[in-house]
Amino acid sequence: MAATDLKKVNRILENREGTSGELIEALQDVQESYNYLPEEVLRTVSERLEVPLIEVFRVANFYKSFTLKPRGKHLLTICMGTACHVRGAPKLADEVLGQLGVKPGETTEDGQFTVETVNCLGACALGPVVVLDKEYYDHMTPGKLRAIVQKVRKKSREKVKV
Amino acid sequence: MSAYVTLTINGAKVKAPEGRSVLDVALDYGICIPHLCHVRGLTPIGACRLCIVEVVKNGKSKVTTSCTLEVEEGMVILAHTEKILKARKNIAEMLVAEAPNSRAIQDVALRCGVKEVRYPFRNKDCVLCGRCVRACSEIWQSKSLGFVGRGKERHVALPFDKRPEFCKRCNACIDLCPMTITPCPGPMKKGEEYLCGLCESQLSMAEEIPDSCIDCRLGEGFSCIRKKP
Repeated sequence: MAATDLKKVNRILENREGTSGELIEALQDVQESYNYLPEEVLRTVSERLEVPLIEVFRVANFYKSFTLKPRGKHLLTICMGTACHVRGAPKLADEVLGQLGVKPGETTEDGQFTVETVNCLGACALGPVVVLDKEYYDHMTPGKLRAIVQKVRKKSREKVKV
Repeated sequence: MSAYVTLTINGAKVKAPEGRSVLDVALDYGICIPHLCHVRGLTPIGACRLCIVEVVKNGKSKVTTSCTLEVEEGMVILAHTEKILKARKNIAEMLVAEAPNSRAIQDVALRCGVKEVRYPFRNKDCVLCGRCVRACSEIWQSKSLGFVGRGKERHVALPFDKRPEFCKRCNACIDLCPMTITPCPGPMKKGEEYLCGLCESQLSMAEEIPDSCIDCRLGEGFSCIRKKP
């Protein structure tokens, strides 16, 4: 694992040596290609960008879009903003968290789903909004959401079989 | 030669080199402004809010922390007005409720006139004063620890919660931490916290003359020599 690990990060850090200002961009790229921020990779980032390790760790902890734990294959984001909240987002959350058996921010045991709650996605008119793998689903109901999650789950299971 | 400015602290005209903080100048002149997060030589961050003072400008007064306030020509500082004393007492009360298991904090609370604690005791191990973080990065250039998380999750942590190999094990973080010395009567268990108040008798002067230095190094909190009860 370690070998492939560093290959990807080396490509990300190319032309970025010593540019501490590009820390967030670099971390975003790492998050993109690894799906999370592995410790070893962050150590490399710290060294090559010449940013103290604690600073890298702090930034990685500060932003919600960064995660230090491996994420599931599918990322499900439930909007809990005011508009979505009054339109029943908590019911959506209860439904899907129960269905998958996780708490917000956790990943299912089979590594398929990570469920996150956010405070606003900026699509209040479409509320309640749910984002699954970067696709926005508007006017969600617990029933619709359950069906979507099941569909995605089935699809990825079939892929495994093939 | 550095330039000097003249300012007034609590009515006393004092001369101070440019660039110094009001808190440092006041302490140099023996005017006690209680403080906790301030350590001479480290960047002030105004975390504990204990060193608040009133700055009078154009007839209006503004409350701000004196450790982060640079001296200016003709500045008028009021460090012990009734308003400040009240606010400071309240801040100290919250601090001691947050972390009663510290001699330094118990001391400061008493110094600021706290007689009872109206807030529920939380008995935390850290008040986020940032002394350790600043000592590590500024004195030792080590940056082995820092603040992590935001809002109420903010805490001092090591990278990946492991001691990094570049930590010099100088123990400056522990030496400067206000939480390392337990109150005089001994450590307090959760649910059994109280305001220590043992040294109240030493403070009779401080009540009448709030800016008198009682020579206890309270803000540093570690060298008070007191008898156990």
